[in-house]
Order: sequence, then structure tokens, then C-alpha cells
Amino acid sequence: MPPPRAARLLTTLALATSAWWSVAAQPFTLPSLPDSVKFAAIGDAGTGDPPQYDVANQMTRFHARFPFDQVLLLGDNIYGSQGPQDLIKKFSLPYKALLDLGVTFHATLGNHDDPANLRYPPWNMGGQSYYSFATKNVRFFALDSNKVDQKELAWLENALKTAQEDWKICYFHHPLYSDGGTHGPSVDVRVVFEPLFVTYGVNVVFSGHDHIYERLTPQKGIYYFIEGAAGQLRKGDTRRSATTAAAFDQDESFILVEIDDNRFSFQAVSRTGMTVDSGTIQRRSVVR
Amino acid sequence: MSPHRQIARHTSKFILDYLLALPAGCVAALVWANTLPDSYYRFARAATFPVNDIGMVFFFALITKEVAEATVPGGALHSWRRAALPVAAGIGGVAVSIACYLAFVNAAGEHMLAGGWVAACAIDLPGTYIIARLIFGRHHAVPFLLLLAISADAIGLACVALLQPHGDVHWVIGLGLMTIAVGAAAALRHRDVRSFWPYLIGPGVLSWWALLLGGVHPALALMPVVPFLPHGRRDRGLLIEPAPQAHDPLTLFERWWRFPVEGVLLLFGLVNAGVPLHGLEAGLWAIPIAALGRPIGIVAAAGIAVAAGLHLPSDVGWRELVVVACTAAIGLFFALFFATAVMPLGPLLLELKMGALVTLAGGALAFAVARVLKVGRFAR
Repeated sequence: MPPPRAARLLTTLALATSAWWSVAAQPFTLPSLPDSVKFAAIGDAGTGDPPQYDVANQMTRFHARFPFDQVLLLGDNIYGSQGPQDLIKKFSLPYKALLDLGVTFHATLGNHDDPANLRYPPWNMGGQSYYSFATKNVRFFALDSNKVDQKELAWLENALKTAQEDWKICYFHHPLYSDGGTHGPSVDVRVVFEPLFVTYGVNVVFSGHDHIYERLTPQKGIYYFIEGAAGQLRKGDTRRSATTAAAFDQDESFILVEIDDNRFSFQAVSRTGMTVDSGTIQRRSVVR
Repeated sequence: MSPHRQIARHTSKFILDYLLALPAGCVAALVWANTLPDSYYRFARAATFPVNDIGMVFFFALITKEVAEATVPGGALHSWRRAALPVAAGIGGVAVSIACYLAFVNAAGEHMLAGGWVAACAIDLPGTYIIARLIFGRHHAVPFLLLLAISADAIGLACVALLQPHGDVHWVIGLGLMTIAVGAAAALRHRDVRSFWPYLIGPGVLSWWALLLGGVHPALALMPVVPFLPHGRRDRGLLIEPAPQAHDPLTLFERWWRFPVEGVLLLFGLVNAGVPLHGLEAGLWAIPIAALGRPIGIVAAAGIAVAAGLHLPSDVGWRELVVVACTAAIGLFFALFFATAVMPLGPLLLELKMGALVTLAGGALAFAVARVLKVGRFAR
């Protein structure tokens, strides 16, 4: 039996090789148009363990073909202790290549995050637990689903009402709909967020928390994605139901998204580079 | 009286005597939240303000009435030497509870829950009263426990009021209105107004607005007003029904509001105790862990106080004190209240609420310890 260190090295080499071949072998489904909005989404990533690094490396490989310039962090960005060394081990190091390429991260916090990290510069939160930013015809709303107070709801309503962009994308940690067996949907948050999403025409919502990838059938006209497996994973945790459009719970994963005019293209990719889901959403209709 | 009316009267008396309205509301909420969650959370959202911020005013008024009466001669809080030991034990319990809470959320990586530490202060008054009566019967340990619980909850209420602003804060307007409210209550007392209604309608309403604008939880609105209501000369004991011949305004206030407050407690349980029984994070154990640490803090603080020269009440030895401390692990109602006061809607609040419900197991712990130590009903 090889010593543990050698075994780890062999595993890493095997993964790296298989990943390279996977990227080469898998169909790359995104159009990758020059002027489109390109971003990635990852949640529940910050373990500092090898799978997080594998996902980060895979994201870097895809970046070569699909130069996304933003990453949405869907919460639980750092697990466990959250000192300066942890921020390096569980964020700066795994995503170093992407950070060096100029990719910006926009975080929302999960239940395991330290509120002090609202001010962590690479996460671009500006000390706020909820905020909004726009890129071309897309406006993103990073929300706080841990603690939803009247101030946040009033801010969200006003921000959604006044947004001029074609696409409105919300992201936060706890999913409003989920077929994850461990946590499932946060119904208490759903009853306050969903009416605003429906009234003000939110198109797509990203969440984490359940350690799987899932795309749900549109709920009241809104597309929901769960990507809570970019570092953590609960194998076999999906409880498929009528609301499951696609799910993957056998390996860590991340999502790539491209928005061009009225078309939203997505590709969910596993740690090894396998495409586990892909498709296109036209505003208010989906084409597979 | 017809048999049906007799049964209804006995049932309502039983519910009142054993303060069962709150647990009934909690059970209904748990069933509703886990069967029809969408409708439950919509209802809870709509009912939270009228129940928690308005209805609960009268519950806290009744608690204040108990404390105000306890300070008159013969009352449990009359003379500082008598009150000092349970107060010291309560402070010890609070300190260790908060330390355990913060240590757990840090160790479990549930950092977002750190802001809910006030909920760790809570000792449930109705729950501890019922368990203590069942274990001890009529015994000096019961008022000792209630005083201890009131001390701990008073610290929690002070923290809610001062450290955890509630909505937008307008300190100056709030302080101005509160000054007028207290002044008006003092003027009514000076004129010896014998009806409690003017105290509620004038100073009470002003105080409610003052707290709301000042960022303090408005459920505490009658706490500065109730002490001005004229009251009897001697206290019969904490949570003891007033004498039938008593007609002072504070007693009349209690008689009038006792039944409506039971309804408020039922609604409070219904609105606040609905939590999913599945899918919560490890953070739900933060309050139970804090509650388990509390008996250690209570016994240790009482030990220090006794070493400093204070005395345990007659008939209360160290074994009784340990059982009292274990009974104080129940946080239920006050933990729910503190949780809703300091944590906005969301999964973290649900974890705190679930933790508050789990502390009911403190009752079983108290019974088990009483049995082992052969205390109260197990002494025979």
C-alpha cells in the first residue's frame, strides 16, 4: 500500500489529468460571446479542504475558454475558525489564480460565516449584508437570508422597483425552494422574499445551504438554482420531486452563466470538469 | 350551574392554575408549521406585531405587578438581605449561560448566532413555577426560584432594552415621551386615582410610544407605569392569587387582565413557537447548552454569596438549591421572547426558537435530579 502522502499525490495527479481530459471531452455549451455578461456562482465553498481547491482549479481551467469576470459567493464562504490564516487557506489560496486574473468576487454570507467578514475587501460587500450592483443589462441583488428585517425588505423593494436593467438576479444563502434532504426550503424567508420577487420581476435566484447542485422548475415564473456544493458535499441528498428540473449530488460543482440580451445560458460543472446540467433561459421562457 | 359550564369553569381554572395556555399555543404552532408551513409563516408574520409588541405589554405588566408587590413589607423582595441571594444566584446563572452560549456558537462555527446571546439569559417563569410546585409543593424553594428567575429575566430585559435597538431609534423623542408618561403616572398616584384604567390609557400609551420611538421593545411599556398603581400593604407571595377582600387598584388590575393575558400567552405560543422539526442547523443547541451551564453558575454564585455572609432561605439546603438550579434550566417563554426581540426573521431565529423549546427538557432534568437527591416530593 503506498504511503498516505504518495497516495494523495497520485489522487491529485489522477484528478488533474481526468479533469483536463474532461474539459477537453465535454461539450462546452456556453456561447462565450465577446460582449456578454459572464459570471460563476459557488456556495458553501470555504472548507479549505482538497475538494474546494479542485473546484477552484476547475473554475480556472474553464476561465481560459469562458473568461468570466465575476463570481457570486452564495454563503458559508468560510467554515470553522475565521482568522486571517483561515481567510488565506479557505479563500485567497484556492482562488488565487482567479484573483490574479482580475476576477472579482461578490459575497453574501451564510450561517457559518463570521459577520466581521462583511468588511473583507476581496468579497466586495462594503460592510453591508445586502447590497446591489449592476453589470451591463444585469442587476444583481445580494441579500441576507440569515436575518431578514424590515429595513432589508424596504431596501429590497425600493431597489427592485427602481432597477432599470433587463435582468434581475437575486442571490442569498438559504434556498426558498429546495429538494435537498438535509435542509430543504426556508419557507419563513420565502413568504417575505417571494412576493417582492414576483411583483418586481426577478428572473433568476441563486442559493446555497443544501450541499448539492439543483435547478428547480420555475416557481411563479422565477428560475431557482442551488449551488451549495463548491467545497462541501452531501452525496445522495437530493429528494427528487415534481419541482426538480435537474440535480447533481455525486461530486462538488460550480455554475457558469452567460447573459446576452434576453438569453441566459448556464452550465453546471462538476469538480472533475463534467457538465452536469446546462441550458438556456429566455426571459420568461426556457429552451433546452 | 349546568354540568357543561362547570366543566368549562374547572378546565379554565386548571389552565390558569397550571399556566397551560402557552404550551397549548406552542403545540398548535408546531403542528401548523410542520403541516402547512406557508400559511403558518404568513399568519405568524401578520400576527407578530399585535401579539409580541402590544399583547405582551399586559403580560409584562402582571410580572411587574408581582415584583412591585414583592417589595412591600412581607414581600419576597422586601429588605435587600432577603433578595440578595437569589439575585446573586440569578446573576451567576446568566453569566455562565452567556459564556456557554458564546463558547458553543464559536466551537460549532455558528458565528452568525453570536448576536442572539441575550436569549441565553432567559429563565421561564411559568414553566419553572409549575415544575417547582410539582417537586416542592408549598416550600420556600419556590419563591427563591421565582426571584432568581425574575433577576435573570430582568438582566435579559435590560439587555434587550439597552443593547439591542428595536427598529429606528429616536432617543430624544422617546426619552421626552417617557418623562411625560412617568410624570403623568406619578400625578395620577398623587391624586390617589383608584381606577387602573387612567394609568393604562394615559401614561401606558405614552410609554408604549416612547419605547417604540426610543428603539426599546414596546412590550415593556407598562413596566415603568405599574409601580405607580396603588397597591395593598402586604404581599401574599409570588404568583399567589390575591386575597378575595383585596380591592386595591393593582389587585383589580390583575383580576381584570388575568384571563386576557392567558389568551395573549396562547397567541404568543402560536405566533412564535412554529419551527420546522427538520432541517435546522447545529445552532439550535446553543440555548440548550447555555441552559445546561446555568445550574453551575447558579450554584457557584450562591456558594460565593453564602461564603460572603448571606443565608439560604429556611428549609432550602444545598440539595434543594441544586434542584432549584436545574429547574431554572427551562427557558421556554422568556427565551422565545428574547429570541424574537433580538433576532429578525430567518433561519437563525428558527434555531433559537427551537433551542428555547428544547429547554423544556430542563423540567425532566429537575425531576431526575430531585429523585436522585431525594428532594421535595421524593424526600418521603
